[in-house]
Amino acid sequence: MARSEIMLQRTKRYKKMVLFPLIASIMLILGPALILQLYLSFNYYSIYSEGWWASEWYALDIFKDVMTDERFHVAIIRSLGFALASTIGCFVIGFGLALLMYKNFRLQWFYYIIFIIPMLTVPIVIAYTAEMILYQKGPLNGILSSIVGRDMLIMWITNPDIALFTVVLMEIWNWAPFSFIIMMAGLASLPKEPVEAAQILGASRIKIFFEIQLPLLRPIIVLALVLRFLEAMAEFPKTWAIFQGGPGTSTETIPVLIYLNTWYYFDWSKAAAMSYIVMLMMVVIILTAINILQKENKRIAQVQAN
Amino acid sequence: MTKTQKQNLDNVVRYTLLTIWLLIVLFPLFWMVATSFKPDKDWLAWPPVYWSEEPTMSNYNNVWGGAMEHTETQYAQSIQKPFTALKNSTIISFISTFLSVSFGAFIAYGVSRYKVLSETRMFQLLMLRMVPPIVLVGPLSLYYTTIGLIDSLTGLIAIYFITTLPYAVWMTKSFIDEVPIELEQAAEIMGANRWTIITEVVFPVIRSGLLATFLFILILTWSEYLVAFILSKTDAVTLPVELAKYEGSSEGRVYGRQAALSVGITIPLIIVGITIRKHLARGFSFGMIRK
Repeated sequence: MARSEIMLQRTKRYKKMVLFPLIASIMLILGPALILQLYLSFNYYSIYSEGWWASEWYALDIFKDVMTDERFHVAIIRSLGFALASTIGCFVIGFGLALLMYKNFRLQWFYYIIFIIPMLTVPIVIAYTAEMILYQKGPLNGILSSIVGRDMLIMWITNPDIALFTVVLMEIWNWAPFSFIIMMAGLASLPKEPVEAAQILGASRIKIFFEIQLPLLRPIIVLALVLRFLEAMAEFPKTWAIFQGGPGTSTETIPVLIYLNTWYYFDWSKAAAMSYIVMLMMVVIILTAINILQKENKRIAQVQAN
Repeated sequence: MTKTQKQNLDNVVRYTLLTIWLLIVLFPLFWMVATSFKPDKDWLAWPPVYWSEEPTMSNYNNVWGGAMEHTETQYAQSIQKPFTALKNSTIISFISTFLSVSFGAFIAYGVSRYKVLSETRMFQLLMLRMVPPIVLVGPLSLYYTTIGLIDSLTGLIAIYFITTLPYAVWMTKSFIDEVPIELEQAAEIMGANRWTIITEVVFPVIRSGLLATFLFILILTWSEYLVAFILSKTDAVTLPVELAKYEGSSEGRVYGRQAALSVGITIPLIIVGITIRKHLARGFSFGMIRK
């Protein structure tokens, strides 16, 4: 046999061997759950049934019910809004800090270490700690009051108009470091020559930023935004631990609504149908995101190669 | 303004802004630590008590010293099992991370050298991470109940293995890509087979990268809440889920105890994260950022 043929066979064998655990675990764990999810969306399962296998065939009724459920529509919009707002918040703060810090200065290492701590903190710990801080008569209002000079008693947790914003603030505290480290890496990998050349030609700092640095950074900015947005769509611990969807329904994001339907209302089938729709929606969003990432990844590699 | 004046002004602005954010970052952490040393009357006092005048260890004693011996401190509940949770968290996160990184590294080697997964497939692999877990945990818990994996360490290890694999493959691939192929060719000429080349040439060269990947995924698994919350009941409870149990039926949350436990959960993670800080951007960006 020719050498190349042997190599080809070996490669095939290696491929089979290393991919086996991945494919096996997907088929054994995720596969049945996916089938069950689809099954529950068409068969009505209640906790009074003997078991999920004894559910009643409802055809498309459950889907129809979900599609016309206004609470579900609002939750989708709320989730998208939450993800968008927190992504932008994280990015603005993270990029801002990176711009202040990317040039070497004394204490750079110190600020860097402190600034990455929030994303290393367990989200559920953030939630419980934030709850103490955010009480109407808690330290945050205490500090705000002493800064402003009069009593500031903002109802961070109990006011339905503010609650979702409070979750956004927690998310920003938690994940601004993500944008920060990515943009620090991006700024550090920028080639120095174009900036120096522009400086010699007398370009202003703002002009250099918008016309040289920003275009070069674009792929990395896209990466930071896309990844953060997807993670924010799945946010659960901070929203759940403090608010459980409340006050009213003001913090009912997609994960919270699905959780409530499954474990509070025991409406498993409705939750399964919702999950199915959300999953399809997310797959579309993710495929778009992946498409963007795949293109930008090549540009990132180019920037990094400098 | 002269150039030095301008630079000084720049520095003042920079340090001011950075320090403001520094305080915002540190305050919640300070509050957590401070609360863990507060007696219960100070937990929700107004005006807020920043540092208790009578600091106490009773929260730590209650959490880690066994609630039974400390019944004089109220809210002692027999359902709280911090040591079981600590043991579970340790076993689950270490085993699932180990599996994820080892299998991930072999897949990554295959991708890097033999393209066992095309670029498109590699990106599709990210789906395992990017689809929000909430859409599947419900049916998954029914399935686990049916096959007897609910509330078991194995069940959680399996799901964490799957959901962290994309990070493991992408991150280790980014390290393997940097290993010069000549090293492997040299080993091949000397008669080494593929197993030897991978385990004795490639992996040793990237061992710091493998360790960073391991610790990075350990952080993710250790902090995970939703999946553990739903797939565990009593036996497989992990530390983040255990935290929610410090809540009395009439007293509300038992903040001091929660804070004492929180400190224990968080500090090791922060230390681990800071030691691998140079690799965090690579980890979180699936290896796309390499510096």
